[in-house]
Amino acid sequence: MNPGLRKLFRDGTADASAIDTFISENQFPLVDGRDITFVWRGEATNVYLRCWISGLDTAQPFQRLSESDLWAVTIELPPESRIEYKFEVVSGDTRQLVLDPLNEVRAHDPFGANSVCQGAGYRRPGWTLEDPLARSGTLKTMRIRSRVFGDTRTTRVYLPARFRENARYPLLVVHDGDDYLKFAQLKTVLDNLITGLEIPSMVVALTQSDDRLSEYAADKRHADYLVEELLPGLSKRFPLIDDPAARGVMGASFGGVATLHAAWRHPGVFGNLLLQSGSYAFSDLGRHQRGPVFDPVVEFMNRFREAPGKPAERVYMSCGIYESLIYENRSLLPKLQAQGIDVLYEEARDAHNWENWRDRLRNGLSWLYPGPVWMVYE
Amino acid sequence: MTDAVERWVLGPQRPEQNISRAFSSSGLAEGPVAVISAGWQDAEAELDHVGELVGRPLSDLRLYQRAERLVQGDPVLKEAYRQRQDRLIELQRFYRRRMRQLSAAARELQAAEGDPALLAPERRHSIAQLRSLDTHHLNRVEAIHRDFEQQFSAAVYPAIEEQVDQIRSLLDGCSALLITGGNVVVLVNRMRLFGIGDLVSNLPLVAWSAGAMSLTKRIVLFHDYTPHGRRSPEVMGAGLGILPAHVFLPDARRRLRTRDALRTGMLARRFSPDTCVTLDNGSAASFHDQQMVVAEGVRRIDKRGKLQKVVL
Repeated sequence: MNPGLRKLFRDGTADASAIDTFISENQFPLVDGRDITFVWRGEATNVYLRCWISGLDTAQPFQRLSESDLWAVTIELPPESRIEYKFEVVSGDTRQLVLDPLNEVRAHDPFGANSVCQGAGYRRPGWTLEDPLARSGTLKTMRIRSRVFGDTRTTRVYLPARFRENARYPLLVVHDGDDYLKFAQLKTVLDNLITGLEIPSMVVALTQSDDRLSEYAADKRHADYLVEELLPGLSKRFPLIDDPAARGVMGASFGGVATLHAAWRHPGVFGNLLLQSGSYAFSDLGRHQRGPVFDPVVEFMNRFREAPGKPAERVYMSCGIYESLIYENRSLLPKLQAQGIDVLYEEARDAHNWENWRDRLRNGLSWLYPGPVWMVYE
Repeated sequence: MTDAVERWVLGPQRPEQNISRAFSSSGLAEGPVAVISAGWQDAEAELDHVGELVGRPLSDLRLYQRAERLVQGDPVLKEAYRQRQDRLIELQRFYRRRMRQLSAAARELQAAEGDPALLAPERRHSIAQLRSLDTHHLNRVEAIHRDFEQQFSAAVYPAIEEQVDQIRSLLDGCSALLITGGNVVVLVNRMRLFGIGDLVSNLPLVAWSAGAMSLTKRIVLFHDYTPHGRRSPEVMGAGLGILPAHVFLPDARRRLRTRDALRTGMLARRFSPDTCVTLDNGSAASFHDQQMVVAEGVRRIDKRGKLQKVVL
């Protein structure tokens, strides 16, 4: 038991006012080295910790402490880990997933919010926070009439501070661009890294799909749209360096699949890939177990693993070690390296979430697009 | 006997500015000041703030803009220039590959324990190998520049000569030259294209950060805190050679692991007999010809890697 809780219940019980004081004096969850104790207060039949991370049981039961209304569960989490979670509160026949009311740290994603547990030593990187001294880029909106999809697509385009029409810029295309802006603070990150000269001033196209589970699942229409419609549209509208080495594409999860697939289908177009927690499901034998939405992904990945070609010259890959996809990501690494691709692969003590992807952006972007910090002496 | 030419080198001008310290010196006669800020690239012309600090009329040489216009408007020069840049980039890549290995080996030996009689010559030789590679690289870079300049320099190419004449006439009306910080590779590249070294050899000058680096005989790039960790310092090419006996290290407090004596000691020995001198914000050094006569806040790195006050 957590030492603080043990002290609170040293007489075998604790009254409501002592529990009130304990709660007001502590931060939750309670971190004691590698031991993380989650606490829930209230009436319930059962309480479970739900954190959907690979390696832990999906639902870990809390224990009621003595006869009080305080519940707790302790898990072991290595230093610098970061996980997202909710509580499942069971009252009779009712089950409810709730955020941790004692923890204000939240992470948001397209499906809502989760509570965040930061293990000992985790610090949010400073370059993910708004810096008033950083020069701010601007976001423009561009519409592209797509023959491939038969509709009109909207792409937001990040232009760096001090953008000039007579200069030439590298390009990065981002899958789930709006989500990267909202949940991974991509604009802030770009502003900070460009101001700090860690990456060059660059144009970033932020694409978003209304049907990502279909279009990002190795859909050739999407790959063709990127290369045959979006890229020419961007080149016409913005001053871009016409060189694959200065052109890249990135994405997370299914966006990682879409990134790899587009580069594989159109080799030589993108010199740089930034892949985060890609959903690279494959089956060496038998049928995969991940559900029908993964069928086209598995079909593509099986073909890719047989004939990877050389989708790009440089690839940055990252994956959280608490993700169920860690096996697939680790399996992809030697396939890419065997093609002579320069790969930087990183793992983090994190799971499949936007803050994991946010925290890896500096390493990925500055590796694929090294800035002039080395040459600039202000 | 002619009077010595006064030259000031300063650290970064943020957060504190000390340009006025140099311009208040009696060695810099009153009059307009020529400015080279090509290291700022597209922002080259944004000099209002500098003008206020200098307190004298500025004559902006606009080397960056001149080079852009010149190269973009001349397909022959543009192609030759592009080819030269590609060769320089590739050569730097080869050099970096060799230097990384030698540097790691040298560091390993500096940290190794063993019989001093056996170890000392190995340590010396590992540094000598680095020095030899640096010299070799500098010679190769110079050879590429010489090839280019045989066809494209003021002496042989009228379009460049025309620009150099304009620059010379701007300089004629100035009592001193100011070279700002910025991208040192771009800065030195543009200065070399217009033969600035010959034009300013007798002009008093003030230079900060990248500008100070450009005055040395070889440009040494360094940064121990890049996103992917420390990199071994690299020789990029030749500078103007006006202050040839120094390697200037601007913003060393932020860029250099100054407490890693093994690393700083290697740096000092690698570039010896030139002296590695830090130029942090607020620091200033003045030279009469090549002799340092003022040293405010600058530090030299000794062969043991310690930062020492400069004793004049």
